[in-house]
Amino acid sequence: MTSLFLVLLALVPAVAVSAQRIDSIAPSATAERSIAIDERLAADAGLRIGDRVVISAEPGSPAGDTVRIAAIVRRGADPAEVARSEYRVRLHLDHLQRLIGYGDRVDRFAIRTAGGAATDSVIRRVNSRAFGFRAYRSREIAVETSKTFLVVSRFHRAIGVITIVASATFLLCIMLLKVDERRRDVAAMRLMGISRATVVWSVMLESSFVALLGSLFGVGLGLVTAWLVNAHYQAVYRTPLRFAIVTPGTIAFSVALSLVLGIGAGALAARRLARTAPAALFGR
Amino acid sequence: MRLQLAAMSLRRHPSRTLLAALGVAVSAAMLLDMVMLATGMRESFASLLGRNGFTIRVAPRGTLPFDTEATVAQASSAVDAMRAIPGVSVVAPVLGASLHVLGTGESVTAFALGLDPNVQGDYELLEGANPSAPDALVASDALLRATGARIGDTLDVAAGFDPQLRTYAGRRRLVVSGRARFLFLGAGDRAAALRLATLQRMGGPERRDRVSLFMVRTDSGVDVEHVRAAIERALPRVTALSTAGAIAEAEHRLSYFRQLAFILGAVSLIVGFLLVTTIVTVSVNERIGEIAVMRAIGVSRWHIVQQIVVEGIGLSVGGAAAGLVLGIVTARYLNSILRSFPGLPDAIDFFLFQPHAAFRALGLLIASGIAAGIYPSWRAASLPISATLREEAIG
Amino acid sequence: MTALPALLSARDVHRDYALAGAAVHAVRGVTLDVAAGEYVAVVGPSGCGKSTLLNLLGAIDRPTRGTVFVAGTEVSTLPDRAATRFRLLNVGFVFQRFYLLPVLTARENVELPMAEAGVPVAERRRRAMELLGYVGLAERGAHRPTELSGGEQQRVAIARALANHPAVLLADEPTGELDARTGADVIALFDRLNRDGTTIVVVTHDEQLAGAARRVVHMLDGRVIRDEPLRRRA
Repeated sequence: MTSLFLVLLALVPAVAVSAQRIDSIAPSATAERSIAIDERLAADAGLRIGDRVVISAEPGSPAGDTVRIAAIVRRGADPAEVARSEYRVRLHLDHLQRLIGYGDRVDRFAIRTAGGAATDSVIRRVNSRAFGFRAYRSREIAVETSKTFLVVSRFHRAIGVITIVASATFLLCIMLLKVDERRRDVAAMRLMGISRATVVWSVMLESSFVALLGSLFGVGLGLVTAWLVNAHYQAVYRTPLRFAIVTPGTIAFSVALSLVLGIGAGALAARRLARTAPAALFGR
Repeated sequence: MRLQLAAMSLRRHPSRTLLAALGVAVSAAMLLDMVMLATGMRESFASLLGRNGFTIRVAPRGTLPFDTEATVAQASSAVDAMRAIPGVSVVAPVLGASLHVLGTGESVTAFALGLDPNVQGDYELLEGANPSAPDALVASDALLRATGARIGDTLDVAAGFDPQLRTYAGRRRLVVSGRARFLFLGAGDRAAALRLATLQRMGGPERRDRVSLFMVRTDSGVDVEHVRAAIERALPRVTALSTAGAIAEAEHRLSYFRQLAFILGAVSLIVGFLLVTTIVTVSVNERIGEIAVMRAIGVSRWHIVQQIVVEGIGLSVGGAAAGLVLGIVTARYLNSILRSFPGLPDAIDFFLFQPHAAFRALGLLIASGIAAGIYPSWRAASLPISATLREEAIG
Repeated sequence: MTALPALLSARDVHRDYALAGAAVHAVRGVTLDVAAGEYVAVVGPSGCGKSTLLNLLGAIDRPTRGTVFVAGTEVSTLPDRAATRFRLLNVGFVFQRFYLLPVLTARENVELPMAEAGVPVAERRRRAMELLGYVGLAERGAHRPTELSGGEQQRVAIARALANHPAVLLADEPTGELDARTGADVIALFDRLNRDGTTIVVVTHDEQLAGAARRVVHMLDGRVIRDEPLRRRA
């Protein structure tokens, strides 16, 4: 089954592109064919639209087809190819078939249907013909080829959980320290007759405010960091793929989590402080 | 007495000390994990590539070994050309293809390597014998389980499947001569190794005298890069990749993990430092009066700093020790996630524990703990004694 | 002025400092001699500069002008490290709020200055128990300050101040936080110390404590306004 899903362009590495301009060579007797190259190849080989290059199926072979570059194509944001350094070239189907001696063969067909029900019908009818083909919905293929990214997602989630646990520990520690610093003030308040509840609520109010402020700051920092990550990796991998996306859902989750952790840490610290007898707070 | 004072000060607020140590432990664990991640891939990949001594891999031009289904034509002449290059001691051609084990039900598909069993670096024989005979093969445990076969059994196998016509280019009966662990495949992958000529013939005209890869062993002391360049000059239709080059390519593809490791490691270090600084600062602020009295009765500034720094060290060392254990446990968990990458060789680990790197990282954390204690303690020990005593009396 | 050789000697000592932008002249031109073996009380209203003077005499603080000699050493110009060392070996301090380290036992608190001075463990342990015995707390050596009463804590503080055989004992309101009865115990201890040869300078509001001294120096607005003559021991 996988043979059906050899992406056509996987054969491209077998098609070597000699990146030399050959304006001086007379056009061949047959009509000159045109190709499209990706922007990465254009940039690295210094090619422009209108340039002529020789393409062949055998690396290092002097014989080949002289073609003209008719277009420069932007690479798609396909995560599956982001780490690969290969170049992409598009030829007319019959040209490539002839060039690589593939005959009247293809690796796959991409089919656009009239909609959901029509898709089901097409899949059913193609699969029942038993011509050695198998039809899949694009979504199924995406899932199958996304296994790598599922692993990366799991890894990110695990790192995220560890980071959250670490942050919660730090937060609780620092809240306890900060609250301990105000033992005497709280002792004086309690001795004056201010209730435990008031002490707890005032500390929690403060921690809520700090948590909210921190959340807003964190959202801003996250947006800036996401921009930096995208800018960096888009440059490194030369792809328009967006590596980090901050969605409203992500923001809402992050803010909710940080508020819960911040207020929770404040509540724990406040309870600890309020539970201690005023005299003990003075160190007696 | 300074050590005693430091220890007693830490025990003064046990829950605070424990929580701070836990925070340092989490920092240390993350730092350790990131150090393991930064070096793990490279080290385990280098170890894998260096096994059996092959220093250069030769693949179809513009590709990486087994990155595509492209093959090198005229493999025999290519082998002769490479053997003629000074410094080359062994050339091992390898062909990769799909192999179908036919039975009464649906066929079992496996990945097959056609090679010379006398000069190969793709599998380790676990039991039985190498496939020296033309009609022999060794199989992975997963393939043996899937087919229900054992050593000595005969399998009906085919290659060169045409999906449209549902025919095979070649079909043979092969004897399972051994059980093997395939170094560059996952533990659950169905794989087999047989003689190169057998697989080429089974692949039909398309596979005649073609290979997917050559593995080259160079003489000891030879400049590997020099030989690599010579191979590419001699054979323009191939790309030669040294072990160093392969590692560099793999690192480039996985550079994200190294950079993530660096960033998270740096953040862990900073957070650990900040935590110890905060703890020490608060602890010192609570004891300003005591510190002023100690200065008044004649304890030197430096000795006070030492005592407080020792407290910071105690926190950091305790936290680092706990972090070492925690880090190893979390690294195992994270490694298990990343090892489920499809197609990842079983021998590759993303998180590799290397004692010298680990202790260096933890040493850095402890050093940051020392640095974290110096400023607040020096500041406290330098406050004017009389003014401080007066303020403490009022407070 | 006294005919005995001066152990402590302050000559035209001034101490000024800035407080909320204004200059405060805490001590203005004080000249004072304290002979070895004397028991001097410095009295005056709050803010008259008596605690500041004590700090100058003990090398805790440095005068803005003037000189201070203690046991033949000019302490008014000593750099911090030297002043610290000097205090450790020559001056014993007793504070109003005791300032014992809460994490150490009574014995360990007394040992602290000796540890800093490099006295071997066995020797300082022996001396600490001896001093605690002297102040009547031999059986309380293993107790932490929070387990001691105010009077007991102050007696431990006095023992600590005597740890390195200081030339002079300086006390700032030593009975300030004690009730009358425990204060009287401390006063009696000071008297005993002086009889045994310890030179004592005490700053106090406590009339009883001032009355127990052999000489009373009155201060007002940073100046010595009266220096009552030496009283003979009863």
